[in-house]
Amino acid sequence: QRVLLLVASDVDALCACKILQALFQCDHVQYTLVPVSGWQELETAFLEHKDQFKYFVFINCGANVDLLEILQPEEDTFFFVCDSHRPINVVNVYNDTQIKLLVKQDDDLNVPAYDDIFRDEEDEEEDSENESDGSEPSEKRRRFEEDVIERTMKRRQRREWEARRREILFDYEQYEYHGTSSAMVMFDLAWIMSKDLNDMLWWAIVGLTDQWVQDKITQMKYVTDIGILQRHVSRHNHRNEDDENSLSIDCMRIAFEYDLRLALYQHWSLYESLCNTSYTSASLKLWSVQGQKRLQEFLADMGLPLKQVKQKFNSMDMSLKENLREMIEESANKFGMKDLRVQTFSIHFGFKNKFSASDIVYATASLMENIEKEGPETTNFIKALDSLSRGNLDKLHQGLDLAKKQLRAIQQTVASCICTNLVISQGPFLYCSLMEHICELSLCLLSKYLLKSFVCSTKNKRCKLLPLVMAAPMDVEQGTVIMVGIPPETESSDKKNFFGRAFEKAADSTNSRTLHNHFDMSIIELKTEDRSKFLDALISLLS
Amino acid sequence: NNHSERMRKFKNKGKDAAALRRQRAEVSIELRKAKKDEQILKRRSILFGLVDENLPLEEKRDEIIQLSLEEIVEAVNGSNTMLQLQATQATRRMLSRQKDPPINQIIELGIIPKLVEFLTRADNAPLQFEAAWALTNIASGTSDHTKAVVEGGAIPAFISLLSSPHMHISEQSVWALGNIAGDGPLYRDALINRNAIPPLLALVSPVTPVNNLHFLDLTAVGFLRNITWTLSNLCRNKNPYPPLDAVKKILPVLICLIEHEDKDIISDSCWAISYLTDGSNDRIQIVVDTGILPRLVELMARPELIIMTPALRAIGNVVTGTDEQTQAAIDAGVLAVLPHLLRHAKPTIQKEAAWALSNIAAGPCWQIQQLITCGLLPPLVELLDKGDFKAQKEAVWAVANFTTGGTVEQVVELVRSGTYSEDYLRPVTDARINTCLLGYLVSQAAEKLGETERLCLLVEELDGLEKIEALQTHDNNMVYRAALNIIEKYFSGE
Repeated sequence: QRVLLLVASDVDALCACKILQALFQCDHVQYTLVPVSGWQELETAFLEHKDQFKYFVFINCGANVDLLEILQPEEDTFFFVCDSHRPINVVNVYNDTQIKLLVKQDDDLNVPAYDDIFRDEEDEEEDSENESDGSEPSEKRRRFEEDVIERTMKRRQRREWEARRREILFDYEQYEYHGTSSAMVMFDLAWIMSKDLNDMLWWAIVGLTDQWVQDKITQMKYVTDIGILQRHVSRHNHRNEDDENSLSIDCMRIAFEYDLRLALYQHWSLYESLCNTSYTSASLKLWSVQGQKRLQEFLADMGLPLKQVKQKFNSMDMSLKENLREMIEESANKFGMKDLRVQTFSIHFGFKNKFSASDIVYATASLMENIEKEGPETTNFIKALDSLSRGNLDKLHQGLDLAKKQLRAIQQTVASCICTNLVISQGPFLYCSLMEHICELSLCLLSKYLLKSFVCSTKNKRCKLLPLVMAAPMDVEQGTVIMVGIPPETESSDKKNFFGRAFEKAADSTNSRTLHNHFDMSIIELKTEDRSKFLDALISLLS
Repeated sequence: NNHSERMRKFKNKGKDAAALRRQRAEVSIELRKAKKDEQILKRRSILFGLVDENLPLEEKRDEIIQLSLEEIVEAVNGSNTMLQLQATQATRRMLSRQKDPPINQIIELGIIPKLVEFLTRADNAPLQFEAAWALTNIASGTSDHTKAVVEGGAIPAFISLLSSPHMHISEQSVWALGNIAGDGPLYRDALINRNAIPPLLALVSPVTPVNNLHFLDLTAVGFLRNITWTLSNLCRNKNPYPPLDAVKKILPVLICLIEHEDKDIISDSCWAISYLTDGSNDRIQIVVDTGILPRLVELMARPELIIMTPALRAIGNVVTGTDEQTQAAIDAGVLAVLPHLLRHAKPTIQKEAAWALSNIAAGPCWQIQQLITCGLLPPLVELLDKGDFKAQKEAVWAVANFTTGGTVEQVVELVRSGTYSEDYLRPVTDARINTCLLGYLVSQAAEKLGETERLCLLVEELDGLEKIEALQTHDNNMVYRAALNIIEKYFSGE
């Protein structure tokens, strides 16, 4: 039986897909891979293939809507859903025939109890049973005592139950967030089947790192999952630890390490990395003249010559590099950057090539979003997927170059938004509207970086606690904008996003023409003319 | 004899126009009798919209006071209002339990006049309501029970309570009046003569304008169901029919109610219309004139039996009328729906549909032509072939009527479709039908065709001759003789 893989376009999904592909290869399972970037593509792909396939695997898509309702599959069709989107639609959770969810057992889903949200429609059936025979009405009717009391009670109970159900579902569906990375879930599956390989483990690491880079999970969750993966890493890589020399040219080795939270610095210059990493750029307020001065002071404090800092990291003096991390951390603490050190993993391919997990995330993501299109839509996806394979260093390096460009572009946009005061407070949320089109993934990243920078730049304490809505033109010909809502940027942020539901309600109440195409509910497309009434509704809804 | 008596009931050229269509006499009487026996036991589930949270039901349930029959009599006849209420409530409670309500015993207590008096206590709504409920349940029993309530003077009291400011009391009165009207033509007309209709209709129209019927909340739906049912009882029963002016008052409201989205309301409205059309042609005409036929045909096509059945009944009644009335039903699209109903899983629906078809087939040849054009012949053949027995009988009548009224070409079409051979040449189980049809149909058809030769050829082509010959050995003497007759008359030349 051939299987259809429907894979969303994010790095975690790609990693999960790689693991599953490897597992399929082990078991000689045939499959067809279809990348889907949104609901429309997913529906089209399903319609195109539903006659040939009975088994469908959804990766990082499908969990948060009622799949049976949307896709109307035949009864002998089965959906396997591995998706980090939360909350999972309750119908998907409680369907025990056609939908199989791949979820980590210890994930706290907080799904409402079955009896609280589903109810057998016995009462109604009872009624229709009596009446459906089509016989003539009786000429006389007695009024029964039980009827009145029972029915009144039943109706009252039903109303109460329904009100409670609405409340429960509202609580459950109110916030959108992410669960365990799909790549990790898929790796768990491989591990349970004793088919886990070091490659798969690396993909699981990249999947988790993607969640962290994209700011989808809490710091707490990240650290916990890192711990889980670390055990697997030592299990798979212990043999090489004693003897570094046993490392051969075609071997790969994964290592846990405390690294600097500086984007791509090992493939860039330290200076560029400091400037284009959201954390450092926001903390030092690099968009301002004072910020630039602060950067010079920071570098001076570390005692690093500007010449060395600005040249390729690889070519820096070995003497400087030796204690670099400690030096940077020490100075960073003085400049208020206490979280510059992160727990992560790195990978060695042979002697020469070393990458940190976040390098791979940035590279793969930019390959997927490459605007310079070469060939059909899926080319980028396949390229990104390939770059995750160990043999494809060319593609990986190409991805790293693209990623640098993107980070630079994002930082420039952030700086110009802050400098021109494009971020305005709308009361219950901050709002920023861009003039130029920008890709979805980058827009999400941009919004998060912008909010971080804004929080550092503003003196208004209230504004520091607000979420952000960001808009950018989508399709000029069709006159549409894309809107992204992100949760507040606070230390204790639970990364839960209420904009999905809020967007839905605001659109409903204003009859705005919206398209909810993205797998994240908090990203919508909207007709440009409807934007102002939509925003007005959103403001009054959240005030 | 049997044959000619049946014949008189057909519509045909040169026949008595009044006797043309077959009325559904014995069938419906049978049906109603069965219902009547059943009705006391049967519990119709009706959504009780009213006695909602307004009544402190639970509190009451907690302090149920058990009273003996003697205590009830004493309290009811006493002067303490509180005790009167408690006693009435106890009475009502006994009468509304599921099993064996003590209706006779309560009547024997002689408290009905007192209960009726309580209906007039406008200052004590709970007492009014309890009394109304108790009387409703007494009236729901046998004719004697209903009689006891009516003779206690309840009719005028209930009619004036229709206008009670309390909705639950008003609804209970509607219900009680429904039970009284349902007893038969006598009490039905008694209500009509007491002018019960205007305040009843006022409950529907002025407060809730026709257009807004759809927007009534659930509470009102329960109320509206009761009103519809009571109105249907006011249209119900023959010998005599309800007075014409009463019908004319009720009809416009029924026409609105039938547009409601609630299934029970639609169903009872349809039943009411079916009662009104179950009569002479001038009664049918009043209904046809309202322009309701397209809606009835639409409802006939609904999947729900409670709607489909009465709508089909009503349309079936209409096509027993004049050619013009039948044409009105055809124009409303009845021929497009009938094929589905002829193939319906339920035998009673097949039968009713075939009955309607037989009456359309009894019309002039242009209506017969419409039957052919609209593709009614294939389902008819199927029905004859494997339908329910009672439905088969109706289908045979349809073929008979068709043959009688159709042109040469139409009859040839019928023969070709397979109906003819399958029909009267097959050894139908009912010897009676078989006999009358055999003799009658062949001669009719052949003579009308004026081309005996051609028909004989057709019959032979379809192996009919062999079948007729086989029938000569039939156990039934009449079948045998008819078959012999046919062979001698038409096929003896060879």
